[in-house]
Amino acid sequence: MGVIGKRVAYYPGCSLEGAARSYDVSTKIVAKELGLELDYLEDYNCCGAMESKNVTFMGTMLLNARNMSLARKQGHSVIVAPCNGCSFSLQRAEYFLETDRAVFDKVNSLLREGGVDALDQIPHTYHILEWFYHEAGPQKVREKTRKPLRGLKVANYYGCLYTRPHFYARTYAHAGGQDEEARPRKRDTADDDEHPYYMNALLEAAGATNVEFEPMHTQCCGGPHSLSDEMVSEKFVMMILQTAKRNGADIIATECPLCHASLEMYRHRLMLKGVPDVDVPAAYFTQLLGLAFGYSAGDVKLKDNLSDPLPVLKRLGLA
Amino acid sequence: MAIHERSLVEPERILRKERLVVDGVDVSGDWNLIIMPRVINDYDVDFGKDVLSQPEGKTINQCYQCSYCTASCPVHNYWDERYNPRHFIYLARLGMIDELQKRADVMWRCVSCHKCTHRCPKGVLVEEVLKAILKVMAKRGIIEEYPSKKFDKFFTESVLEYGRIEDGELLFGWIEKQGYNVVKDPILKKPIPFVGETPEWLKDLVMKPIKSMNIGFLVLNAKHMLFHPKTKNWSKFKQVLRKVMQEEGALH
Repeated sequence: MGVIGKRVAYYPGCSLEGAARSYDVSTKIVAKELGLELDYLEDYNCCGAMESKNVTFMGTMLLNARNMSLARKQGHSVIVAPCNGCSFSLQRAEYFLETDRAVFDKVNSLLREGGVDALDQIPHTYHILEWFYHEAGPQKVREKTRKPLRGLKVANYYGCLYTRPHFYARTYAHAGGQDEEARPRKRDTADDDEHPYYMNALLEAAGATNVEFEPMHTQCCGGPHSLSDEMVSEKFVMMILQTAKRNGADIIATECPLCHASLEMYRHRLMLKGVPDVDVPAAYFTQLLGLAFGYSAGDVKLKDNLSDPLPVLKRLGLA
Repeated sequence: MAIHERSLVEPERILRKERLVVDGVDVSGDWNLIIMPRVINDYDVDFGKDVLSQPEGKTINQCYQCSYCTASCPVHNYWDERYNPRHFIYLARLGMIDELQKRADVMWRCVSCHKCTHRCPKGVLVEEVLKAILKVMAKRGIIEEYPSKKFDKFFTESVLEYGRIEDGELLFGWIEKQGYNVVKDPILKKPIPFVGETPEWLKDLVMKPIKSMNIGFLVLNAKHMLFHPKTKNWSKFKQVLRKVMQEEGALH
C-alpha cells in the first residue's frame, strides 16, 4: 500500500465531462470517502485516444506530452486517468519518450515552440482502479461500506487496455532499452496481465458477489471501431453480454467510459433486434462503490446510465 | 526462398480431375490433385524497409512467425479468418504487394485490443506494426480509404480544432458521414438529434434520458453540443501540431 501517492494529478478525459459525467461524479465521491485527493489537471487536452495514433505519430506524442507537462507544472509526478483509452495513450507516450531519446528531444523542443514547458521528468500514468487498489485497497473499502451490496451478482468487465499491453504498463530506464540493466521491469502496481482482479476485490469488499466472467472480462467491445465497424462491435458486445447473463450476473461493472458507452449502445440495438440474453445493465464500478458507501442513486447519477440499472438495484434493495 | 503457405496458393492453381491416368497408371481418387507451380519474382524489398522506418514499425524484424498474435486475435477468431496478423507481417517483410492488396478489405479491421502486442514472445509491437503496414500501403496507394481511417481522421481533426472532443458531435457527425440526412438548426449549424433520418435505434436511445426526465444530463450534453468544449491555451499549440502533422503528411 501507498506506492503511488495519496495526492495525484487527475486527468478525467473528454468523455467524463460530457456523456460519462456519472463516472466523474462517482469517482470523486469514492476518492473522497477513501481519503484520497484528486488534483484536477487544468486546461488539459484530448489524449488522441485510439484514433489519432493511426493518423499521426508525433502529433499524438505531442498531445500527451502537453498533458504530462501540465501535470509537472502542477507539481505532480503521477497522473491518474479513469479511462482505459486515456491511461493507455499516456502510457504509450511514456513508453516511446522513455525508450527513444530522439523522440524525447524532438517533443521537448516542439513543446517549447507551442508555449508549454518542456518535460523535466516523465510522469507515470496509472489507471484509477490501480490507484484505488493500492492507496486504499479492499480493507479500507470494507471499513467505509455502510450499505453492503448484498445479493448483487457482478460481472467485472475490464476491457482491453487496462492490462494490455504489459510493455506500456512497465517502467523503463532511460537508456534506449539496449543494455541488460535498462530492461523493463513490471510495475509493482500493475494488475495481473491475463487475470485482472482489482475490481473484483474492491467490489467483493463492498459486499457484492463476483460471477465467473473469464475470458470475456478482457474481451474487446469493438473499441475504436464502435462507430466505424458496427457489425464486428455488435458481435463482440453480444458475446460479452450473453456470457454475463448466462453466468448469472445482475449487472456489469465497467471502468472505462468508452467500453461503457459501447456496451450500452449495442445492448440497446441488440435488444431491439430481439437477441436473447443481452439485457444485463452496466454501471461504473465507482457508482456501485458509491452506493455501498451510503450515497443515493441520485448522488452517483445512476439515471445517466442508458442501460438503466435502477430496477435491478431497487429489486435487491440497494438503491 | 521462403516458407510457402497454403494461403499463397491461388484457387485457380489447384487442379482436380475426375479421372487421371499417368504413365498408364490410374491415379484417380486422392492422388488426382495437382497444384500448379507459382513463381513469384516481383518482391518489393523496399516495402519492409519502409515499414521499418516508421516509428511504429521498428520492431517488425523481431517477428519469428510463431502466430501467437493470430491465435489471440478476436477479429481472427470471432469475425473473419482471413484477418491474420502473422501473415500480414510475413507478407510485408517479403514485400509481396499483390498479396497484401488482395487482403486490403480485411486489413483495416484491427480493433486495437492489443492482445497480440501483449502476448508476443519476441517483443514485436504487433498492433503498431500492423498500423505502420497500413500507413505504408496507403502512402503507396495500395489500399483505398476504409471506414476506420475516415473515422480516425474525423476524430483527429476535431482534436486539432478544439483540443477536446465532444461525444454528440462525433456521433452525429459520423452518422452524417454515413449518408444519413442529419437535420441542423439554421443558426449554429448544429445537429438536432430527434428529427431527420437518424437510425431508429439511435433516436430511441436519445429519447431515454428525456423519458426519465434526466434534466441535468440533457442540459449538460445540449450545452456541449451547442458550445464545443475547448482547451483554453490552444491556438499556439495548435499551430505546432498542424505543422507536425503536415510534415508527416497526415493533413491534406
